[in-house]
Amino acid sequence: MQLRRQLVGWAFLLPLLAYLLLSYAYPLLTNLDLSLRDNTIRTFVHGGAPFVGFANYAAVFADPAFGTAVLHTVVFTLVSLVFQYAAGLALAVFFTRSFPLSATLRALFLVPWLLPLIVSASTWAWMLNSEAGVVNAVLAAFGVDKVDWLTSPNWSLVSVTVANIWIGIPFNLVVLHSGLRNIPAEVYEASALDGANGWQTFWRITFPMLRPVSGITLLLGLVYTLKVFDIIWIMTRGGPSGASTTLAVKSYELGFGNMLPRFGPSAAVGNVLILVAMVAGICYVRVQRHQEEA
Amino acid sequence: MRRRRLLRTATGVLLTALMLFPVYWMVNVSLTPPGKMRKSPPDFFPTTPTFDGYVRVFNEQLPYFLTSLLVASGTVVLTLALAAPAAYSLAKLRPRGRRPLWFVLLVAQMIPGIIMALGFYGIYVSLGITNSVSGLILADSTIAVPFAVLILSSFMASVPDELVQAARIDGAGAVRVFWSIVLPVSRNGIVTAALFAFLWAWSDFVFAATLDSGGSLKPLTLGIYRYIGNNNQEWNAIMATAVVASVPAAVLLVLAQRFVAAGITAGAVKD
Amino acid sequence: MLRIPIARRLTIVLIAAGLAACACSSQAGDGGSKDSGTYSLWDPYPQFDNGSEWVKVIDNCGTQAGVKITRQAYDTTDLTNKVLLAAQQHTAPNVLVVDNPVVSTLADAGVVLSNKDSGLAAAEAAPNLVAAAQTGGQTYGVPIGANTLALYYNKAVLRTAGVDPAAITDWASLDAALAKVTAAGKKGITFSAIGTEEGTFQFLPWFWGAGAQLTSLSSPEAASSLDLWKSWLDRKYAPNSVIGNTQTTSWQEFATGEYAFAENGTWQRANAAKAGFEYGVIPIPARNGGVAPAPTGGEFVTVPVQGDKGTETTAAKIANCLVSPDTALTTDTALTYVSAVPAVQERQIAAQPDLKVWVDAVKAAKGRTSDGLGTRYPRISQPLWTAVQAVLTGSKSSADALSAAQAAAASAK
Repeated sequence: MQLRRQLVGWAFLLPLLAYLLLSYAYPLLTNLDLSLRDNTIRTFVHGGAPFVGFANYAAVFADPAFGTAVLHTVVFTLVSLVFQYAAGLALAVFFTRSFPLSATLRALFLVPWLLPLIVSASTWAWMLNSEAGVVNAVLAAFGVDKVDWLTSPNWSLVSVTVANIWIGIPFNLVVLHSGLRNIPAEVYEASALDGANGWQTFWRITFPMLRPVSGITLLLGLVYTLKVFDIIWIMTRGGPSGASTTLAVKSYELGFGNMLPRFGPSAAVGNVLILVAMVAGICYVRVQRHQEEA
Repeated sequence: MRRRRLLRTATGVLLTALMLFPVYWMVNVSLTPPGKMRKSPPDFFPTTPTFDGYVRVFNEQLPYFLTSLLVASGTVVLTLALAAPAAYSLAKLRPRGRRPLWFVLLVAQMIPGIIMALGFYGIYVSLGITNSVSGLILADSTIAVPFAVLILSSFMASVPDELVQAARIDGAGAVRVFWSIVLPVSRNGIVTAALFAFLWAWSDFVFAATLDSGGSLKPLTLGIYRYIGNNNQEWNAIMATAVVASVPAAVLLVLAQRFVAAGITAGAVKD
Repeated sequence: MLRIPIARRLTIVLIAAGLAACACSSQAGDGGSKDSGTYSLWDPYPQFDNGSEWVKVIDNCGTQAGVKITRQAYDTTDLTNKVLLAAQQHTAPNVLVVDNPVVSTLADAGVVLSNKDSGLAAAEAAPNLVAAAQTGGQTYGVPIGANTLALYYNKAVLRTAGVDPAAITDWASLDAALAKVTAAGKKGITFSAIGTEEGTFQFLPWFWGAGAQLTSLSSPEAASSLDLWKSWLDRKYAPNSVIGNTQTTSWQEFATGEYAFAENGTWQRANAAKAGFEYGVIPIPARNGGVAPAPTGGEFVTVPVQGDKGTETTAAKIANCLVSPDTALTTDTALTYVSAVPAVQERQIAAQPDLKVWVDAVKAAKGRTSDGLGTRYPRISQPLWTAVQAVLTGSKSSADALSAAQAAAASAK
């Protein structure tokens, strides 16, 4: 019986396993291989790049810009995650109340996701332009001086983070909203009978029951935020002079931001990011196992 | 009570308007004549609108709409077909040795899209499936499948085990439990996964650009390239393409949400 | 890259097992076909559709060579990646039209044939343009046309400020003009100093115009050109947005009619005519007078390696046809480029007298990859735009930024 159950379990997983192997094995190994070789354009085309071990990694770590990029990545990721999650959760709770147009408005929140990133990021760059941007125009109406959102080293990281939070809110809203919907109504009824008010119900019932979905939302949010490069690339090119360069931007810049790609260091940075995500995953699984056993 | 509901609607409309302001700005730019695009301060409304961008888009882009729709729907189907059974197994059957799969799924999502695209390109050329809808569906699904598995399994995990046990005792096999119990109860998760699979495929750029740049079978987003020249970008047309590409999909989203909301209130959640 | 036998074998097996089952629609591959009848051509002109003059030109050249040509257009930056990938998979196109600074990279990678090997003839094109595609003593491809940078000016703005554009012949007179314009309440000059190749492209006329060399970024001449840009920002002659401006954004600023000057390229002529105000063009002045060398833009027609003499010869025939003077004139007119052939340039001026200033600018222009820099250029360009950004944002002095740039450029092979 136990064995049968195991087999059935794996049978359900089989299509996925085949698919994963098929789609990801090659790119993943490619990325690893790229990071361990000294590739030039010529060897990229014709093969035969010499194996250099971890030299690319060493070169990347030795670059003083790497430390700055790590710092930017941490700030960008943490700030994005906190605000996306908080805004998404607040909106999700709001939209579980019944009121006219609720479903329509919630659907409209997804519209930013329909736009190609090149368009939404360009629109943000447009709005934040220091000369002709609407944000500065509105600020001027309140007597605030012009801010160089994208062209000042002090502001560019803030600007791209704001844009990224904007892009991430719909994702958090939808996933958390579905999570809230899955909490059985009886639980709330019981809580109401006990005389708990809205705030108490939220902290004692809703939030704990939402924990599995919250966990996965944050984990996925982390993975996606670590990976973000296109928004930053389009808005600031990681600049001015590296002020908004995160690790993902660095990886893209090394690999594709120049006429002469440097595949080795680019892949090395990419693999560092994969490692970070794995560590986050380990933490998540630890917590999850703990809960399952509890 | 009624007033309270209306107050909520008003708040909702306000929040949505705030959220969609950048989208409005995109529409505004799409209608602004080039001479006024960088006017300082900018015009909040297109006072002298130009429809050049839209004329071009309607003349040049409409055939690609169907491709986008096909690719996005195909991605949804493929994603759910792969992810739902796997998520069920992870959440309810819990076979031994499943945990490493978690890491694979996580790591899979971390591979940069461009590296995935480069990898696919070589494979597709040798198979001869560049410029094909099925090729794009396969590539686009790689963004959505790991997400769908993770999200669905966390939804299915919250299906009470007693429900599954009860069905077992009634003699239902694993397939039956999956199909008639777990799947209907985790409908919210399914809708979420489907939604994002659709959105990702619809707005994908990297795969389309690498795997599908020639011929008539290209998705709508790629049409934007036509307006991005070596030294010059035609922003009226770029923004107009984005507007035209998002309007039908937005309508689809609103309809789907209404439908889903209605379905949920009709068939009680608790089953 | 992908020379990992195990991974490769594994993947092929998986693909064979997996995808054979899925009834995927199958089409001919992306790139160059080896069968005799059809030749592929890739270009970076997605704005031209099948009814355009450019496509007619291609079809004609195909007919002359006795073959059918299938053409695919890509976005410029995508085209380079796509060609490298295709070459890796042995599916490079038969004829490739590609941006000039990329040619030496492709040549170095062994992707395109030298003219000696292919039979392409660049003799008629102006030597200063061809130089961009010369590396290791060989020439790779022929320019299809050229563009470069100059200063557009708004006639009305200069008139109200009392500035005579003809009097702007060096940096001092330009500075004086900018001072007058801003004193008259108008905006001075807009350009693009974005942290990409575009930024370096726009900076080079000032850099070269000061007498600086790309091989020595930390020279006092180089510092003086960077100080010029910085002083414009400090004195509000130029907006702060230039730090993030692409050339299109910069043009949009000029198109508002508020700015006196804009540094921009030949390709904006069509837009300038539609701008709704009168404009003129002057060459970019060198520091101490005269015309500064601006970098050349524009594409080269090249013949990628196929490993088959017969198809390569036919491809060269097509390429020679595409760049032949009469044919190229049609293309250059459509692209609003200046012809690469001096004799044709004269014909262009005869037809459009306002093109003269551009022809002169192209004659004075210089390829970024010229002087034998070739693939060293990208390794110099990136530190240079980084330095420009650092100085304009005020985070470094020009001397510090440029010596850091020189160190970075020198350390890269």
